[in-house]
Amino acid sequence: MSPVSIPLKGRRMIPAPTAWARANRSRLLGAALLLGLAALGWLVPLLSDADPARQDLGRILMPPSAGEPLGTDHLGRSMLARLAAAIRLSLGFAAVGVVSAAVPGVLLGVLAGWRGGWLDRAAGVLSDAFLALPGLLLVLLLAALAPGSAWALYVGISLVLWVEYFRVVRATVRVAAASPQIEASRLLGFGPLYIFRRHLWPEIAPVVLTLASFGAASAILAVAALGFVSVGLRPPAAELGLMMTELLPYHEEAPWILFQPIAVVFLLVLSLNLLSGSRPR
Amino acid sequence: MMRKVFARGSGWLGATVLGAVLLVQPAAAQSDNPARVLNVVAPWEVASLDPAQHGHAFLRLEVAQTLLEVDGAGRPLPSLAASWTVSDDRLSWRFVPREGVVFHDGTPLTAEAVAASLRHARAKAGVLKEAPIRSIKAEGGAVLLKLTEPFAPIGAVLAHSSAIILAPASYREDGTVTAVIGTGPYRVERLEPPQKLVTTRSDRYWGPAPAVEAVSYLAAGRGETRALMAESGDADLVFTLDPASLRRMRSSRAVQVQSIPLPRTVAIKVNAGHPFLKDEPARRALSLAIDRAGIAAALLRAPEAAAGQLFPPSLPDWHHPGLAPLVQDRAKAEALLADLGWSRGEDGILRRDGVPFRLSLRTFPDRPELPLLAAALQDQLRAVGIALDVAIGNSSEIPAGHRDGTLELGLMARGFALIPDPLGTLVQDYGVQDYGVRDGRQGGDWGAMNWNEPRMAEALAELLRNPDQARGAELRRTVAALLQDELPVIPVAWYQQTAAVSRQLRNVSLDPFERSYRISAMGWAE
Amino acid sequence: MTARPILKTLGHRLFQALLVGLAVGTLTFLLARLLPGDMAFRVAAGRYGYDNVTGSAADAVRLELGLDQPALMALGAWLWDLAQFDLGRSLISGEPVIAAIRHQLGHSADLAGSAILLSLLIGPPLGILAGLRPGGVLDRALLPFAAGLRALPQFVLGVLLIVLFAVGLGLLPAAGYGTMEHRLLPAITLALGLAAVSSRVARDATLAVTASPYYAFARTKGLPEGSAFLRHGLRNIGVPVTAYLGVQLVYLIEGVVVVESLFAWPGIGHALVHAIFARDVPMIQGTALVMALGFVLLNALVDLACFGIDPRRRKA
Repeated sequence: MSPVSIPLKGRRMIPAPTAWARANRSRLLGAALLLGLAALGWLVPLLSDADPARQDLGRILMPPSAGEPLGTDHLGRSMLARLAAAIRLSLGFAAVGVVSAAVPGVLLGVLAGWRGGWLDRAAGVLSDAFLALPGLLLVLLLAALAPGSAWALYVGISLVLWVEYFRVVRATVRVAAASPQIEASRLLGFGPLYIFRRHLWPEIAPVVLTLASFGAASAILAVAALGFVSVGLRPPAAELGLMMTELLPYHEEAPWILFQPIAVVFLLVLSLNLLSGSRPR
Repeated sequence: MMRKVFARGSGWLGATVLGAVLLVQPAAAQSDNPARVLNVVAPWEVASLDPAQHGHAFLRLEVAQTLLEVDGAGRPLPSLAASWTVSDDRLSWRFVPREGVVFHDGTPLTAEAVAASLRHARAKAGVLKEAPIRSIKAEGGAVLLKLTEPFAPIGAVLAHSSAIILAPASYREDGTVTAVIGTGPYRVERLEPPQKLVTTRSDRYWGPAPAVEAVSYLAAGRGETRALMAESGDADLVFTLDPASLRRMRSSRAVQVQSIPLPRTVAIKVNAGHPFLKDEPARRALSLAIDRAGIAAALLRAPEAAAGQLFPPSLPDWHHPGLAPLVQDRAKAEALLADLGWSRGEDGILRRDGVPFRLSLRTFPDRPELPLLAAALQDQLRAVGIALDVAIGNSSEIPAGHRDGTLELGLMARGFALIPDPLGTLVQDYGVQDYGVRDGRQGGDWGAMNWNEPRMAEALAELLRNPDQARGAELRRTVAALLQDELPVIPVAWYQQTAAVSRQLRNVSLDPFERSYRISAMGWAE
Repeated sequence: MTARPILKTLGHRLFQALLVGLAVGTLTFLLARLLPGDMAFRVAAGRYGYDNVTGSAADAVRLELGLDQPALMALGAWLWDLAQFDLGRSLISGEPVIAAIRHQLGHSADLAGSAILLSLLIGPPLGILAGLRPGGVLDRALLPFAAGLRALPQFVLGVLLIVLFAVGLGLLPAAGYGTMEHRLLPAITLALGLAAVSSRVARDATLAVTASPYYAFARTKGLPEGSAFLRHGLRNIGVPVTAYLGVQLVYLIEGVVVVESLFAWPGIGHALVHAIFARDVPMIQGTALVMALGFVLLNALVDLACFGIDPRRRKA
């Protein structure tokens, strides 16, 4: 295994109880922010019939008004409807990306860390290869394989992200598996499932959750960046990175419109970072 | 105290990044020449020296020149050829090279050098290869070019950027260009593919010496980057501003915006063999659904860009002012579609025999406004009940789809002056060609598809035989009218070339044929 | 005795490099060949531009490059050339791939190196200062600031910096390359994102170190705070910060593509995106290979640096 070990959250020293309180407060804040954004994403289509794709070239870059509370974009589309659609897309993206990276990563990590042997070595080699493969290359190639489709981006991002789960989980499990408690459980004749539930999961769960919320934030940023080099999703899809890229040239003419997708990405990533504890990565 | 800590801390920090530091190169030293450098920024990269690929850069920066030049209407003018004659059967052309011209390496411009350069160009893909040329050779101090059939636009073909004349020392034996040694007022100082090209004034130039001494060309692919470089004063001359930045630029104090209509039109290439599109009224309905005025004003920020017909007014020979302009009329479009048997389904999409009116539109992002226009067209066609799947991919997917027949609609930006005579391009796009690789079918990669109109083929063929003025004008009107009536391609918008020009530059003008940046005519304000 | 684990680590990295070289070359080749669209048309579009890509240009390309050959033969030829340290020629420009990569990798490494250096000058010092006074003004200010920087996409940050420093103040060039000043804005754009992370890592590590028994002991035995920190603190903070550098490289490589595109900086990310669009297979393979090997090399350097800082590892 590579000596570049990732410091484990579970073993970090927590200096004072006030830090705990603060960490919890920031998590609460993060959760509240995330819920608020999700509510915006899913409630807007219920409350208004604005279509995120409907254009009106006669009313472009309008400032916020009673009819359009967030104004209109460069094609005269409702910013409120588009932001809501973009939030749904980004959150869905983040969720699918994280789950499809976390499940194989955690499973393989537990198996490799617990069982060791050839499985451990093979998985280690695989993860090393993936780690050194420029993630960008994978995503670019997959995106070129199916231009404009979302699944290529999901797969590409998951392929990049799973390694991190694998490495961290394997390291955690390896330490835990050598612990006297597990030794005792095994001697007492408990099955692997019990040992996993009783001893391993509590060890890896906080780590995985931390990684998941960071991974979600990274996925959102990665898709936004891909949109910028015109590899990501295609217009008229309402995607935050794409919206920013399209609206960028209007930064002087309609700053309030450009500000909106930036603020949403900012709040999304911030809330996920807060949710995961204090250390952003 | 903390400062001391960091002084030592930086020791190990330094060691940590040693690897990175070793890779850091020292800044490339700028030339010590005190001459003021004119900074040009444009979107086109210069990835190689090959004239077939990037001859345009060397032509525009006036490093290399062509045998002929063109005037504002695209008619040939002498350049490296001082004069020329044509045989009566219009099959033999003799070009006499200009006296006293030397290449940047000091070798003289001879008929042999010109003929060799053209033969190299003809061996590569490009307009010379497509033209009906039998042979090119030097004979008695002149260049003799023989055709297999009369071809009126041959002068324009010789003015194309892939036909620039380079010194014999530029070529390797296999025809690969290893250095661009031209005859222009500037010579290549340094090329850093794919983005930078630096030139300086050549003291061997045969014409008057230009005032600007050195030029640095940078390819910047993003419109936003170019706009910011103009605003910050990093660039003196910035080409192709995106419409979104135009308004901001126009109010900038550092630069002024110049614009000029280009002989280039955004149009939808239509597969006229597709069951939904084979009837003229169906294509008419698509055209009537398009809000050209809205697109021009809101997206392109140039109301005059709404294309009322395929040929823009900047092509005075071809633009037909008598044609009724194409306009939006949603009700009429719906009526035409209803007559063809289409009726709206529950989702608002038209259906005929249970089949929804759904088409795919291919386009590409190399011209950044195309995806934007595609999004606008998607919404406007949906309003009349046509569902459009927009596929943004590589530009080659349009000609590839033309060839294998899978293309339905393609949104393209077609230039009519790729060679300065539009006839050459129109013959490729709408004519029947029996020479070369095409098998006698009408239409071309960037023109009509599965559209057969003998009157068009005949008019273009007759134009190639160089008819007299009056007949030529009549034939051109026929061509414009046929395109307007039959809509084998649906025009959307006419192009403008826009440039941001530093207020310190004098005598700046734009070339409608995009052949030259005309830097040799510019000067600095005092 | 001390050299053994180091050699073992280096051996491991060498093995990884070989493995990755083979995997990257083959994988990119397979994917590039699997991509939809006619390769001859793609190459023709890459060479001659959208105005001049036609069926006949594609036919000429197909003939010239022998694209009708079976794919396996082409892969075999590439591997054989690779064994002789030849990366082939670009299908688009006809130039040797290695020459293009040398030019572009040089500029990318230049940018990435400057960014890392800048980020280390900004991030860890701020983090350490914050960690020494947990809950202080700096500590409280740093968290939202770091999270904010990390939450801004790089192109937004880059445009903000250009508008501020180039257009507004006229201090630095907006884009382009060639001089020291040109390097600053793109490097700062990248460095701020990196510093956001390294400042947090340094802050947490400082907190852990100052709360540790050995540090308390050093203080108890009468060492003044300055020397205690120097003798016992810095090294222990250095390890996680350095280790994180390796992880950050991933972020850096991705950031480089966006920043290169925005600042018209010639680089390997830019080259890769273009090569994929134009289906320039040797260029894709070469670029990917060099990027992957560079990544392994940098990680090996990070390993060595960790050994240098942390004597315990040498005995592991």
